[in-house]
Amino acid sequence: MTDVLARKDRALSPEETEALLRDRLGDQVVGSTVEFGTFTLHIAPSGWHAAAQLCRDESLLAYDMFDCLFGIDAREEGFDVVAVLYSTSVGTRICLRTRCEGGRDAPVCPSITDVYRGADWMERETYDMFGIDFEGHPSVEPRLLTVENFEGWPLRKDFHLTSRVAKSWPGVKEPAELDDEGNVIERIPEVGDAPGPYDLDKAMAEQARAINKPELDEGDADQDEADKDASAAKDDGDERPATEIDQETFDKLIAEGKSERIARSKAKAAFMKKQKAAAAAGDAPAEAEAEDAPTDGIDKETFDRLIAEGKSERIARSKAKAAFIKKQRAAEAADADDTDAAEGAPPDQDVEVAEQADESADAEVEATEEEPAKAPADEEPTAAEKAEARRKEQAEARKRKAEERAAEAEAGDADGDEPTQGPDDEEGQA
Amino acid sequence: MGLMDQVELPKPVKYVFNWGRKYSLWCFNFGLACCAIEFIAASTSRHDFIRHGVIPFAHGPRQADLLVVSGTLTDKMAPAVKRLYEEMPEPKYVISFGSCANCGGPYWDSYSVTKGVDQVIPVDVYVPGCPPRPEALLDGIIALQDRIQKESLKERIAGRRLDPITLGADTPLVSDSSPALPSGGGAT
Ligand code: SF4
Repeated sequence: MTDVLARKDRALSPEETEALLRDRLGDQVVGSTVEFGTFTLHIAPSGWHAAAQLCRDESLLAYDMFDCLFGIDAREEGFDVVAVLYSTSVGTRICLRTRCEGGRDAPVCPSITDVYRGADWMERETYDMFGIDFEGHPSVEPRLLTVENFEGWPLRKDFHLTSRVAKSWPGVKEPAELDDEGNVIERIPEVGDAPGPYDLDKAMAEQARAINKPELDEGDADQDEADKDASAAKDDGDERPATEIDQETFDKLIAEGKSERIARSKAKAAFMKKQKAAAAAGDAPAEAEAEDAPTDGIDKETFDRLIAEGKSERIARSKAKAAFIKKQRAAEAADADDTDAAEGAPPDQDVEVAEQADESADAEVEATEEEPAKAPADEEPTAAEKAEARRKEQAEARKRKAEERAAEAEAGDADGDEPTQGPDDEEGQA
Repeated sequence: MGLMDQVELPKPVKYVFNWGRKYSLWCFNFGLACCAIEFIAASTSRHDFIRHGVIPFAHGPRQADLLVVSGTLTDKMAPAVKRLYEEMPEPKYVISFGSCANCGGPYWDSYSVTKGVDQVIPVDVYVPGCPPRPEALLDGIIALQDRIQKESLKERIAGRRLDPITLGADTPLVSDSSPALPSGGGAT
């Protein structure tokens, strides 16, 4: 201990330490672990005192500083006592751990107060919290941390908190707690309760939803899909219910016995989804309407064919749009330049061209699909929460803009395709 | 106080007397946990409750008029609070500052925490919060001073207290217009 600074390079490694202690203590060293950089030596209770003594006095170890001592509840096996020692000369730390004799009923451990004076109060505290008696301690009574007449050992796992017995924990214990039906429990303060700071409860609920995503999402999606189908016709008509919730969903959920709050929030979400769907579908949202929808801008034949083939309405519409534009261009080109060889082009080439056009249309559809799909996904959680008209309008406007942009892009693409082909009435008829 | 506890003072005298009392509250800080930091903040230059006539850090309980219990009171500490409170001369006032002192706060289910300082000593003003902001303490002090202004010293010395004020729950805070005493209210 002549050195002022701790010399870690002079420290014994855990293996060496263990070997040394095993040499001196024999089979009273029960085992050792190194966890999180902490070397723990398990000692039999009978060797506890000797081990502490050795750690302090052995010049190679020189654990001269008593750091702390505490108990651990080992359930059925009783209690452990851990002493943490530190060597100021070499700067290492060691944990000595022993299992008390006497099991759960009368745990007792040898005291090391005569080795380390500082262990005195630590042992008293351990007695206070775990009821572990220390043999050879001057006096573990009176109780140090609790009131003198305290009954029980508060840090034992089987200690009951009387307040909790009298009154169970109010509200949710974990942020992602689910109720019996698998719904996230959102704690909304009662009137008169202090609300959480800055929508803490909402933030917690959101976090909970994120954690519980997989099952919940699917359920929600199914639910909303069903709602959309069920009330698509109705939705076309009514603009915006004053309550801004989807009444049908709400009624259904209430009938299913969900709590009003959950029903309301789900109905809200359903309402939002519908709105978005309506916006995404553009001016003519339902297929039924497509019949009398203005045919300007789309090629009706293509559209009908694709619908008949079972393609989704949107894909059909956009392909039909592309086809229409192509036709228009072709017609213009034909007008301007009658001598074009396209007229006399062999049919198989035409078919190829048509296929190409189809492919490009496909790609475009994908592109257009991606954009609106992204926008609602981004907004979903907050929008569903808030359901503010302002935000919805913004979203709709944004979507419309996106569509317009997509349409422009299509037109541009069609331009690019155009020079290679002649009039492609065939495409429409094929 | 031979005379004071026998006779109700004439109104103008009472007014001046109470005015003097309310602006010279020597405060004994019983800082027990994190809330004590907020108390200290309230006493320093930014919030500075000395401008309200509250003089912090009385030399001891025997020189203090106001006891501010700020922080987590444990069962082990409770006798000390009671003892120091009893060492204070009448008329004495208690502000319970923070959730812990009000009801046990986040440690309401703990094995060692007292469920509110009012289990041990009577409280005049409860300031809620975990921790309350220094402004809340100022609010509590003003509410208390308002009460002192309207108080009858005779009644106070006789040990009759008004019901405690809970900031935020008992409104209005400062314009409490009924100086009438309830019959033996307050927790003791
Ligand atoms: S009320 Fe909150 S801030 Fe105040 S002492 Fe208790 S835990 Fe700390």
